[in-house]
Amino acid sequence: MALLLRSIARPGLYVSRSQFGVLYRHAVPMGTTAKEEMNKFWAKNTRLNRPMSPHITIYSWSIPMMMSITHRGTGVGLSGGISLFAVAALVLPGNYPYYLDLIHSLSFGPQFLAFSKFALAFPVTYHTCNGIRHLMWDTGKGFKIPEVYRSGYVVMALSVLSSIGLACL
Amino acid sequence: MASFVRLSSVCHRGVKPLFARNTFLARELFACRTFREKDSMQVQVHASSHSAASSKAASLHWTGERLLSVLLLGMVPAAYMYPGPVVDYTVAAALTLHGHWGIGQILTDYVHGETKIKLANAGLYTLSMVTFAGLCYFNYKDVGICKAIAMLWRI
Repeated sequence: MALLLRSIARPGLYVSRSQFGVLYRHAVPMGTTAKEEMNKFWAKNTRLNRPMSPHITIYSWSIPMMMSITHRGTGVGLSGGISLFAVAALVLPGNYPYYLDLIHSLSFGPQFLAFSKFALAFPVTYHTCNGIRHLMWDTGKGFKIPEVYRSGYVVMALSVLSSIGLACL
Repeated sequence: MASFVRLSSVCHRGVKPLFARNTFLARELFACRTFREKDSMQVQVHASSHSAASSKAASLHWTGERLLSVLLLGMVPAAYMYPGPVVDYTVAAALTLHGHWGIGQILTDYVHGETKIKLANAGLYTLSMVTFAGLCYFNYKDVGICKAIAMLWRI
């Protein structure tokens, strides 16, 4: 209906350019960008003070959903860690070997060290492996649901195994 | 958002409407008839690279993000095989930019409202600049990223 009204209101914009290809012979570009449309959506809904529709609180969680948000979570965590490290490098008085010796002098047990290495390595390996999965999607491959689940399992297995491998080094 | 559906794909196809409500049928028929009559029924589309007014900035940004990700992936074996200042500074740059663009996407997803967006992005720029400065300082004055990871792992 909105489609109809919009087309009637814009008689002068009818164009049949071959650039659009046969499919879009009667297509007319919208006057707004996607970004503007999205901003309009949010502006209207905030203005009307509408509550957020329940989504993650009611929708059944699936493996792809969990892996996706974990990818984002590990990304934020890693980024935060790197920034923290960079600020520490600028602000703290001593140099890196000094702080390493400090940790070394605390004499943690070998299991604790191995576990810490695993805990450090896992976000990196998970984000890397899932990142490769994302890049495969970007080439257009692997979107069928069974494929999504299969690649997801592969990523989870590879992350855990490589983290264990790195922790043993 | 305007619909991308071409009316011709649903008209004249003998498609039985799922709902036998009169209003729905009437609207469908009206729309189909208009399509045929006017022959100028316009379908609103988001014309991407075809419109003269649109810019390719977003598309290029997307490609840049993927290229950077691949570069970062290549840095992993590079850091292992050739640790040193070249890899150190490349990793510092690639890591900071990848994180900057990544967090940028998160802000775009969750932050709404003109001023909030501006503030968030300003904060992000500051964070990324400080991060890059810190990493470069570490590479210059201290042991460097590759050596640091190696030393940490030998603890």
